Order: sequence, then C-alpha cells, then structure tokens
Amino acid sequence: MRWDFEKLTAEAGQEIAACSDLKTLEALRVKFLGRKGLLTEIYASLPTLSAEEKPLVGKGANELRNKVTQLLEEKKNILESSSSSGPAHSIDVSLPGVAPLVGHAHILSQIVEEICGAFEHLGFVVQDGPEIETEFNNFTALNIPADHPSRDSFDTFYLETPDPDQKGRNLLLRSQTSPVQIRLMKQFKPPFAVIVPGKVYRPDAVDASHSFVFHQIEGLLVDEDIKFSDLKGLLTAFCQRLFGDKTRMRFRPHYFPFTEPSAEVDISCYICDGKGCSVCGKKGWLEIMGCGMVNPKVFEAVGYPKGKYTGLAFGMGVERMAMLKYGINDIRIFSENDVRFLKQF
Amino acid sequence: MKLPLNWLNNFVKHGLTAEKLAERLTMAGHEVKAIDDVPRGTQAAGDRVYEIEITPNRPDCLNIVGLAREVSAIVNKPFKAGKAKALKISKTACDITIDDKAACSRYIGAVVENVSIGESSEDVKERLQAVGLRPINNVVDITNYCLFESGQPMHAFDYDKLAGGKIIVRKARVGEKIVTLDGVERVLNPNILIIADEKRPVAIAGIMGGQATEVTAKTKRILLECAAFDPILIRRAGRSLGLTSDSAYRFERGVDVTNLERSAKQALAMIVELAGGTITHYRDANFNKKVALRNFEIDVEQISKFLGTKLTAVQVKKILTSLEFKLKAKGKRFIVTVPSFRNDIKAAVDISEEIARIIGYDRMPLSLPQVKPSAIMTSENFQIKRKLRQILIGQGLDEVISYPLVSRNAIDKSKLSESSLTRIKNPLSLDQEFMRPSLLPSILAVVSLNFNRGQKNLRLFELGKTYSPDGEKEVLGIILSGAAVASPDWRASKKEIVDFYDLKGVLNCVFRNLGFKQFDVLPAKADIFSAGQAAEVIVNKNVIGRFGKIDKEVTKNWDLKSDDIYFAQIELGQFSLKQAEEKFFVHLPEFPAMTRDVSLAVGKDATFSRIATAVWEVGGPYLSAVHFREQYTGEKIADGQKGIVFSLVYQSPERTLTEAEISPVHEKILQKLTQDLKATIR
Repeated sequence: MRWDFEKLTAEAGQEIAACSDLKTLEALRVKFLGRKGLLTEIYASLPTLSAEEKPLVGKGANELRNKVTQLLEEKKNILESSSSSGPAHSIDVSLPGVAPLVGHAHILSQIVEEICGAFEHLGFVVQDGPEIETEFNNFTALNIPADHPSRDSFDTFYLETPDPDQKGRNLLLRSQTSPVQIRLMKQFKPPFAVIVPGKVYRPDAVDASHSFVFHQIEGLLVDEDIKFSDLKGLLTAFCQRLFGDKTRMRFRPHYFPFTEPSAEVDISCYICDGKGCSVCGKKGWLEIMGCGMVNPKVFEAVGYPKGKYTGLAFGMGVERMAMLKYGINDIRIFSENDVRFLKQF
Repeated sequence: MKLPLNWLNNFVKHGLTAEKLAERLTMAGHEVKAIDDVPRGTQAAGDRVYEIEITPNRPDCLNIVGLAREVSAIVNKPFKAGKAKALKISKTACDITIDDKAACSRYIGAVVENVSIGESSEDVKERLQAVGLRPINNVVDITNYCLFESGQPMHAFDYDKLAGGKIIVRKARVGEKIVTLDGVERVLNPNILIIADEKRPVAIAGIMGGQATEVTAKTKRILLECAAFDPILIRRAGRSLGLTSDSAYRFERGVDVTNLERSAKQALAMIVELAGGTITHYRDANFNKKVALRNFEIDVEQISKFLGTKLTAVQVKKILTSLEFKLKAKGKRFIVTVPSFRNDIKAAVDISEEIARIIGYDRMPLSLPQVKPSAIMTSENFQIKRKLRQILIGQGLDEVISYPLVSRNAIDKSKLSESSLTRIKNPLSLDQEFMRPSLLPSILAVVSLNFNRGQKNLRLFELGKTYSPDGEKEVLGIILSGAAVASPDWRASKKEIVDFYDLKGVLNCVFRNLGFKQFDVLPAKADIFSAGQAAEVIVNKNVIGRFGKIDKEVTKNWDLKSDDIYFAQIELGQFSLKQAEEKFFVHLPEFPAMTRDVSLAVGKDATFSRIATAVWEVGGPYLSAVHFREQYTGEKIADGQKGIVFSLVYQSPERTLTEAEISPVHEKILQKLTQDLKATIR
C-alpha cells in the first residue's frame, strides 16, 4: 500500500497537537483536508488502484479524514477559547483601577452620626440649638449659681452683644450643649427623649488636648417615672453598642450642678482590657461621659410642675470619643483638616 | 488632695489594702487618681499616699478627718475623732476689727507669748512631706498640719511686727502693696480683702501672708488667725492676683464656720505643746452662733422608686447616720438634719445621692427606660445636613470642620471688612477675636494649610454656621481647587483644572437632590469673587447664596499660589425636608426620541439661558429636552460672536414621531432664534 494510514494518523495527531495558534492550525487543515491537501490526493488516487487496494485505502482515508477533522475541531476550540486571554489581548491586571471620586465625612461627623444613630435606635430624636446663648440658658437654669467660677470670663466666652433678656449682661458662646435642654423644656412638655450634638466654646489655649471650640453630644430623657436604674441601663446598652458587648462599665459618683445623683461613666480600657496601660493612665478605665438624674431645680427653672417629672441626662465629648476610638493623641488634627487625614476615614 | 494612709489610719481602721480602699473611695465619688509609694530613705518610707480628686461641692473632704469620715461610712467601720487636749485660754481679748462683716463671717485671734521657734518634730515633718509640703518651722508647720488634718486654714503672724498689735479685716485701698511670703510684691485693689495692722496690709485674706510679719527664728510672740472668709471674694482676689494656695483653695470652696473654735484650739494646743509659750489673748469675733442647720423630709419608699431599687428604713438610717446626718422618724418618713460641714446638701434629692453613693452605684440595679414617642421630631436642620453630607460625599467632596472664630486680619484678607461683625469680649488671642461672618476666612485657612503641605487638589465642603449680631445661620460652603478630577490618573481626567462650571455642577446636583424644581442662577458681584465669574442662586425670589471664582486679591492676600479656587456659600434656611422628599414617578418613554442638533453663531451677550428660553417658547408639545453641547469662538466665527451647539430632543409618549411632524416645529424654533437673537444658523 502506498499509504501507511497508521503512521499518517499519528503524524497528523502530533502536528495538530504541536500547533499553538489558529493560523498554523488553518495551514494544517489545508495541508490535510484542503483542495490540494493530502486527503484530496488520496481520494484522487482511488481510481488508479487495484480492486483489492481500493476498499482498504478508501476505508483508511475515511478514518484518517474523520480523525484529522476531529482533532482540528478540538484544537480549534482550545485555541479559540484561549485567544481572548492570549498574549495579544491580555492586559496588566496589576495596574491600579480607575477609582470613582468618593468623598469623606469628617471623622467628627461620623462619630456624631454613630452616637446619634445609636440613640435614635433606642427611641431618641436628634435636636439642635444655637451656639450664641444667654446666661440664663447656659448657667442659671442649669442650677449653676450666679457666682460660680465657670461663669467667669476665664471659663466662658462672652460676646459684645448685649443680652436682650437681661439688662447689663451680654450674650455668650455656650460652654456646653445643655442650654438646648432648657430651650426644649421651655417649649415642650414631656415625655421626650432627645439627643443634641453641637459645638461648644471655652477659653482654653490650644494644645494637644485642649481647644477653644469642640463638640459635645447631650442626651435628655424626661417622663413621669424615669429612674436612676434606667440611666444605668440605657448608657450600658449604648456603650456596649458603641464599644462592643464585652466592654465593662462603671458609674462613678461625681458632681454636676444640673444633675443629682450625678455620675461619670468609665469603660474598661480597650487597649489593656482593664489591666492598666499608658492610654488609660495605668487605671484600666477610660472616662467617657458625665451623666445623672435631672436636678429638680432645673425642672423648676423651666416651669414644670413640682415633683411631676423625673429625667436623666448625659453628655460626652465628640473629640474625646474619636481620640479614644482611633488612638488619636492630638486634638488639633481635627481642626487642621489636612485632606490626607480626612481621607483616612 | 493628697491622703497619706498612715495619717488616715489614725482616724479609721478600715482593714483594707491600699488598692481595695482606693477602689471603694473612687466608687463613692472620691476618685483616687494615683497611689504613690513614699520613697525609701525618707522618714515616711513604706507609707502610701493617694492623690484624690475632690469634686468642688465637697470641700469637707479636702482634709484627712473629712476623708476618714467618708471611709468610715463607706467601709462601715467606726470613725475615731481625735481627743481635744486641755487648754488654758486667756480671757484677754486681742484687738480685732472687722470692717467688712459680710466678707469675714468669723475671726478667731489668739496671741501666744514666749514661743520658741525651731524645727518641727520628726513625725510632724514626716506627715507634711507626705502631703507634699516643705517643713518651715514648728509654728508654721502646725498651721499647715491642722489645715491638712481638719481642713481649716490658719495663719500665724509675728505679733511684735503687727503695728499697734492690731488686726483689721478690710478691703485694700488703691495703691496699697504687699510683699507676700513667696517674695513677690503685689499691687492690691479695693476688690481684694486683706488683713491689715494699723499701718499697712499684712496678709491677703485667705490666700497668703506677708513677708514683713512672717514667723521667723527670732519671733517671740505670735498671733494665730483662724477665720472664715467669703469664698467668692477669695476666688476673685486669687484670680486677679494670679495667686493661689492651699488656704485659698479651701476658702474658695467654703469652710465650716462652726468648726473654727475646735480648729483654733487644736492648733493652739499643739503650739503650746511643741513650741511652748502661753496664750495671753484670745478673741472669737463676729460669730453668729445661731447658724441654722438645714432639715429635709425624706420618704424611703419614694427614694427607692427614684433610684429603681428596694431600700429599707433601717438601711437608710444607718447610711445617713454614718455620714453624721441626724434622723428623726415622722410617721413613715424621716426628718433629716444635715451636718454643718455638708454645705452641698441643699435639697432632699441630694440625700438620695448620698444613699446611692454609699451603697455604691455599681450595686444599684439596671433597667431599660420605656422611651415613649417624643412630642418632638428630629430637627429638620439636622436631617437636611445629614442629606447634604451624603450628596456631597457622593460627589467626591471631603468634609471639613473649621474654626468658627477668626482674626480681624483673616476677615480683612478675605475682603469681608464690610460685614457686621460679632466680637468676643474676652478673646483668648487676636487670632480668635471675631465670629466668622462667612465661612470664607475659616475655610481659606484650611486651603492654605493644605497648599502648604503640598495638597493642591481640594474638593471640600463644610456644614457650619456664620454669625452676625443678628444671630447665626446654617450654611453650606464648598471649595474646589486644582485638578478637575482629584485622581492624578490620566485615564480618568480630560480637563486639567476645575472651573466655574464644576462648582455649578456640584450645586445643581445638591439642589436637584433637595427637591428644588425652580432655582435661578444670575450673574452677581461680590468683593470676594472675580468680576464676571460670580453668580447668585435665587430661590423663591430670595438670594440664598453666591458662588464663583475667588478674587485674585483674596488669593494673593492668603498667599495661595493658585488663581483657580472656587467657592460657594449657600444658606440652608430655605431648604425643607418636605421639598426634598417630594418625588414623582414619570413613565419611561415607550417610543423613540428624535434628536436634532443646532449650531448657531450668536452675539457674545446671548446667554444660553436666553437661547433655551426662546427655544422652549415655540417648542410645542413634543420638545422634551434642550441639551447644551459646546460653545466656542475662533477663526470661523465673526468678532463679537460665539458659536454654540445644542441638541433638541423631540419625543411623544404615544407614538413614534415622524419627520413631517417635527420639521415644521424645528423650523419655527430656528426662525425664532434668528429673529429674536440675531442668530445665524451654521
């Protein structure tokens, strides 16, 4: 026989297997199956063959054609499926992505949002009030005596603008968010639960831990039967939400003129878990807010009927919360507004 | 307040370790800030000293006895008061004149003759050192010792140096001076209460003695002063002189006027014992013996309810008695008499706190309050700011929070000198003398800081306030500067730097998102903006804000090395939540739109808004949008003209429009533009 079909099949198989691109594969197809290809040549020779050879060669050629067609088809599929990711179309996936512009809320706004949000979940509403205040709202109504040191010009900024309600006195920049309590209570009857974020001012020279303006969040819940145990329960729920379930808390008796009993709230130090480290000053505790039961004198000042209502109030510094939460050790970075800082959060 | 434990142990056997006791004190309201070990080698080695923060309402705890009383109540162990020593007191009075009787509610003076001044005994010195004092001599040390032990400040004068042997309590006269014990000459004023002799001031009352009458090694006769002064006067005098002392600290907070005699006698007994001598004169001046003690009626059940716990009458009685309150049963209630040293107990509710505090807040139960729906809603202003913050962050702007207090210089540099300003009466420094009349000076300070640190591509906003003598206003401020796209990536940027329209785009987005269907932007003039590149935003006929390119002079004043800084300030007063939430559904178009481009040459003064208005006037029912495409000038456009390209979109909700329907309308529009605006169709 002129053709060794076994060998031809093996050779075709090898050539097709070795082929690595569609162009070469097409050349192979032409070589085997094309109009001037091998199989055409074999079929063309059939009439010249002897009667014995003819069926054998015909069978061999058919088998070869089927085999080659199958191999070419398979190879083509492989090459095509890989061609879209093949070297000619591939890109450097390690190049950075083109990011859409995304802005950042100031970290203090984020903390305010987080804290207000936590209390909104507990049924509170957010309220705000003016920064320019009267002595009555900022001090007198909050049971801060007329001669109290915090009213001195050393501790409170006064404006040149006279107080329209109090002859001879001037308006001031509120030194706490508590005057908003007074404004709300003068306007509304309980029950209500409010959370009040805002700027406050004190004449402190700027250094790593002081600023003449900072942010506070104040909370107030007034109803007919609010108890001291409610204060503990509410703030415990809040702190565990903000700092995690495992946070331990303690309520330490303290003094504020506008609450009685009053307390400061400490949480177990998140760095050392209460063992004592440099962040908590070796105490194991971090002071995070002041709180208490609204002093009946405050209710008296806003004209609520004597003995009718009880309430709880609390207040915290936003900068302090942010500093504790993120380990920031200089309060000035919040007001610098370096965009590299803003973009970190 | 420093509390050495050895000294405390004299008065109460608490039986606790230093750490445990510190925790109990802290949890009863006297926070132990630190526990110091007295170093080896010093006399009191081995002793431990608490550093305690005493709250301003508890001056009775600014001494060892007061704290011992607290410890006794907290740990439930008896308090042992020191025994008064027998003392021979002379009947001869000393010469004390009190001019200002309101300012000095009691003055005990006693003269001791033949004292021998020398060093104190070791145990006295040891204790003074433990509380951080330097021993001086036996008499001075005794006054300090008594101050720390029982809380009453006292002062010893060299009696022979008091002119006329007189003590006069009066206000200082203009021009009077005194050299105080610290060697500093101090000029006095008539608001300052002083102790004077016949000729001159010898002490600043309650704060510090004078050097001229100081007890020295040569002193033979002393006059011991044990008095009570008005807390406010002492505080004001201290502040105006920039002077404080252990005495002043206690007088400012108030001393127990009924305790003066006991304190004076304790000190005199110690002086006689340790420095010798005899008491030749004694006088208790200006004391009103009828100091009424305060009484309150309390109801145990009511207190239980208020605290959210269950108290028994026995428990309440025991706690209050341990704090030296006197209780008298009145039916189911108690009449509680407050001890003289507890000036902080001013109402029945203060007694609730005492009970809670001694039981321990940590042992009180927890409950969750029933928060009922409030009569108030979350403030609209807060919600609008919340929304604005989201919109602006979504546009790639970073929020800043700048200082609301600015200097006169910053206001002038920002060309805002004409604004009516709110001045701080007592500014800390000239840098923070005024409330900002605009966000501009505060925000330019932020821009300046960032520029100086190499950050030039700024997209910033602030939700803050501006202030005027009429009050404060909530505003939104925006700054754009530098690259139009904050990323330096060339793939993302086509335009190099921001311009007016970038800022207008941000504002459009804000207004659209806040539901303003109608707002106008008209050219405006303002000192802070470059001429011809400023606009005002008008809503409901009110100008609610301005924006534009910051004037060159302003950027130069601020030394900002860029002319392309854009600023907007919009008042939030006109924004309403209702408006922002009002949205309508419009069916999506089912039939294709037909878009026709128009290219015009028009006079340079023909604004796009005029062109669009003209188009809409004759646009008919199917004109659905006018889109600006391009504006240009160049060789092909005649002088005084500009080329402008825009697209008109025609669409019907009911069917596909045909050329035949649109062409007449489109022609009409072109005609209108040609006639009204003298436009040439290109």
